[in-house]
Amino acid sequence: MRHAKCSDNHRKPASGFWLPASLLLFSTALLASPSKPASVLQPGTSPLVTFRILFTTGSAFDPPGKEGLAALTASMLAEGGTRSMSYDQIVQALYPMASSVNSQVDKEMTVFSGTTHIENLDRYYGLFRDMLLDPGFRPEDFKRLRDDAINFLKVSLREGNDEELGKEHLYNTIYAGHPYGHHNVGKVSALAKLTIDDVRSFYRGHYTGANLVIGLAGGYPNGFAERVEGDFAKLPEGPGDKRRFDNPKLSPGTHIDVITRDTRSTAISLGFPIEVNRAAKDWPALALVASYFGQHRSSNSYLYQRLREARGLNYGDYAYVEYFPRGMFQMTPDPNLGRQQQIFQIWIRPVEAENGVFALRAALFEFDKLVRDGISQEAFETTREFMTKFANVLTQTQSARLGYALDGRYYGIPDYNSYLKTQLSKLTLADVNAMIRRHLRTGRMRIAVVTRNGAAFRDAIVKNTPSPITYNSPKPKEIMDEDKIIQAYKVNARPEDVVIVPVAQIFE
Amino acid sequence: MKKLIALLSVICFTAAMPAQQKETKLFPYNYAVDDLENGLRLVTIPTDFPNMVALYIVVQTGSRNEVEPGKSGYAHLFEHIMFRGSENYTSEQRDLILKKAGAESNASTNSDRTTYYETFSKEDLDPVMKLEGDRFQRLKYPEPAYKTETLAVLGEYNKNSADPTEKLDEVLHETAFTKHTYEHTTMGFLKDIQDMPNQYTYSLQFYSRFYRPEYVTIVLAGDVTRKQALGLTRKYFGEWKRGNYVPNIPAEPAQTEPRAAAVDWNSPTLPWMAIAFKAPAYSDDKKDKAALDLLAPIAFGSNSDLYQRLVLKEQKVDNLQTDFGNHPDPELFTVYARVKDPKDIDNVRDQILAAFKRFTDEMVDQTKLDATRSRIRYSFALRMNSSSAIAAALAPYIGLRRTPETINKLFALYQQITPQDIRAIARQYFTPNNRTIVTLTSNKGANN
Repeated sequence: MRHAKCSDNHRKPASGFWLPASLLLFSTALLASPSKPASVLQPGTSPLVTFRILFTTGSAFDPPGKEGLAALTASMLAEGGTRSMSYDQIVQALYPMASSVNSQVDKEMTVFSGTTHIENLDRYYGLFRDMLLDPGFRPEDFKRLRDDAINFLKVSLREGNDEELGKEHLYNTIYAGHPYGHHNVGKVSALAKLTIDDVRSFYRGHYTGANLVIGLAGGYPNGFAERVEGDFAKLPEGPGDKRRFDNPKLSPGTHIDVITRDTRSTAISLGFPIEVNRAAKDWPALALVASYFGQHRSSNSYLYQRLREARGLNYGDYAYVEYFPRGMFQMTPDPNLGRQQQIFQIWIRPVEAENGVFALRAALFEFDKLVRDGISQEAFETTREFMTKFANVLTQTQSARLGYALDGRYYGIPDYNSYLKTQLSKLTLADVNAMIRRHLRTGRMRIAVVTRNGAAFRDAIVKNTPSPITYNSPKPKEIMDEDKIIQAYKVNARPEDVVIVPVAQIFE
Repeated sequence: MKKLIALLSVICFTAAMPAQQKETKLFPYNYAVDDLENGLRLVTIPTDFPNMVALYIVVQTGSRNEVEPGKSGYAHLFEHIMFRGSENYTSEQRDLILKKAGAESNASTNSDRTTYYETFSKEDLDPVMKLEGDRFQRLKYPEPAYKTETLAVLGEYNKNSADPTEKLDEVLHETAFTKHTYEHTTMGFLKDIQDMPNQYTYSLQFYSRFYRPEYVTIVLAGDVTRKQALGLTRKYFGEWKRGNYVPNIPAEPAQTEPRAAAVDWNSPTLPWMAIAFKAPAYSDDKKDKAALDLLAPIAFGSNSDLYQRLVLKEQKVDNLQTDFGNHPDPELFTVYARVKDPKDIDNVRDQILAAFKRFTDEMVDQTKLDATRSRIRYSFALRMNSSSAIAAALAPYIGLRRTPETINKLFALYQQITPQDIRAIARQYFTPNNRTIVTLTSNKGANN
């Protein structure tokens, strides 16, 4: 007998006080069947079997002073040895199957994922299971993975990727003093002090039955899901990471961090917290606004057309209502990045340094226009049509469908595609424009800029110096007239709120 | 209309696939190849994934085709210009059609090909094919729009420029090649990118040379039939006129000495090195490339002795990768390493060189060779998890041979390779005179 599509019943999101549905469900699941882990099962006929073993814990549960512990613990499982096999033996064993075990850590979710061919299922699962349930916590793995984490922050991110640096710093600024307020990989100074005992302790406290959701998809045989559930039922039940994360308390006004490093161009990210996540009834409307304004990596969006297509300012310009890490490498977001709190974010890809201030002003000008004027009936209808169909692109693969189903469980919404389509079909233009007015408030804007001459950038902002732009070809009058407004567009930041930040301080 | 190849019946993956059939075909889907009289080719791959269609249009033009001095980067520029509108659709109209189709739409360029792709709902196939037919035959972009788009290309160079490996790769190719166009990267030289706004007339010539049916293969994978695909291809691409331009790509003379270069990077980074040997071109019938394909993971992959020592045990390196792509002309077999402590640079270089030398002396272990063949088979099977992924996996081979069958021929060739073959071919290519080493270090230290 095959399993039902999803073993949990979904609940409507609670109004007002909101906790992930997975946590609300936990208590009933416990009463009904104390030893059976929660699971999302998608059996099918594919010769591939996909695992997504999710723990509802993450970097927001890093103890203060130990930032990076959740991520290091996950990498010790996914890239370290078990008690019976060293990591190099595991690598050898996985090699002929061309499979791997991957980990992803976000604020409230940690997921271990992998896909294998049905012919290798037993061997692969045996490794996967032992890596998660019988970790070796070996000193040589710890040293390597802690070095990797520090070098990722200190070298790869801080000194090799201005865009991701700016985006991640923006999040850290918005959530300063909040459990979300550090990079998922951690802080350099805290990582340097972590020990294997810290990792053991995090594993014991957070890799619990209460935090676990087993995700399986594909052509696995009858009885396999029960076998996995039985194996993982051996984890201690634990109390579960039930915690409410509040909207961050930000002081009013626009604050700008100008990160200074020796770089050719200027990368800009801006945003502010919103009170909407995927569980909220306002979310589909707000997601539609973000898609209209700046669909990721698409020329079909407003900001891209104004900044890149009309002006040639850069490679692209996008907007988001959900965290989307590694966006420069991916066309679609990874699932299992569920969060109680999200921000509205605008990402301006690097511009020539002399156009940095103009580009920031242009982004603010367009955003203010969006808030003031809303969107048109035509834009509403085409964006709705796009999103309705694009949901199929987002969930093309077995692994993505499983991931979205796990996220649906967390947020308490049913199947993503049908949910989104139903909700979008009910929307009206008036709803969408009301959502813009309700949620897109600019009073607490935070901006991260990465540029080589931070002092000049800061000066131009605080003195409100005009930043005219020149082009290599004639532009229509409409663009030239608009440029005159943009070049003097006031960035309402007090001088003390425009701060130059040496890059060496970031993620420290 | 000439129909070149009829449908081939091959294995479909099923959970109950008999063991004896395992090694037969690497590309398991039924497909059809149809050639139009104008030289355009269509490859149709109906799949079991419902509702969606992936349209990949592969142009056998990349930075390799950029033969004129001062004109590097134009294949990539065209990847951008192709979104700027055509005779019957402005770029805004094009955007609107793709938006209504809910399409994921983009393009990519490398040294040998430019690939345009859209993934969308099957009911939108007709309007999307019509749109594509127009831009491939009747691209129309005014000079101001051209100039603006050249700035977006500069923006792409800018976004990449913070990454030291981009520079490492640039210098590696400049050093290893003296005549062949693999001397420059796909982005092109910065000075050529900065000169692009002045080259509108040249851009028209570039389009007229390479955007011709004989350079192009259309791949349609997904919820689509051959009849439907062929009908739409004839309807929207049938009038396309064949061209006559063939670039004279200079052959790279044999290298006669070891080469080296050093890059001084302006911001803090861990040192990088690239150790490269001139290496054979893609072939599905000669053993050279296939033998070294099998050796690459055995010598330098995650289960290699070198990786286990440098990355896992000694922990001197945190990133060890091989790049040995399939190219129509001989290119490079490159090992990249990021070294955790600058004092270990020489030791790491020597260990990598020793691994190259080792496999010119020793034969690879038969068990590892078998495990590698298994890995190739499963890695292909695991990749093909959507219609879009199937078309994406196929596109590089279409760029080389214009047929999925080359994948099966290559896999059959892998089965014939022996440890003796690998040693003999490693001896032929991994010689000091074939070698280029580039190191990148920072004058600001390893990190701050």
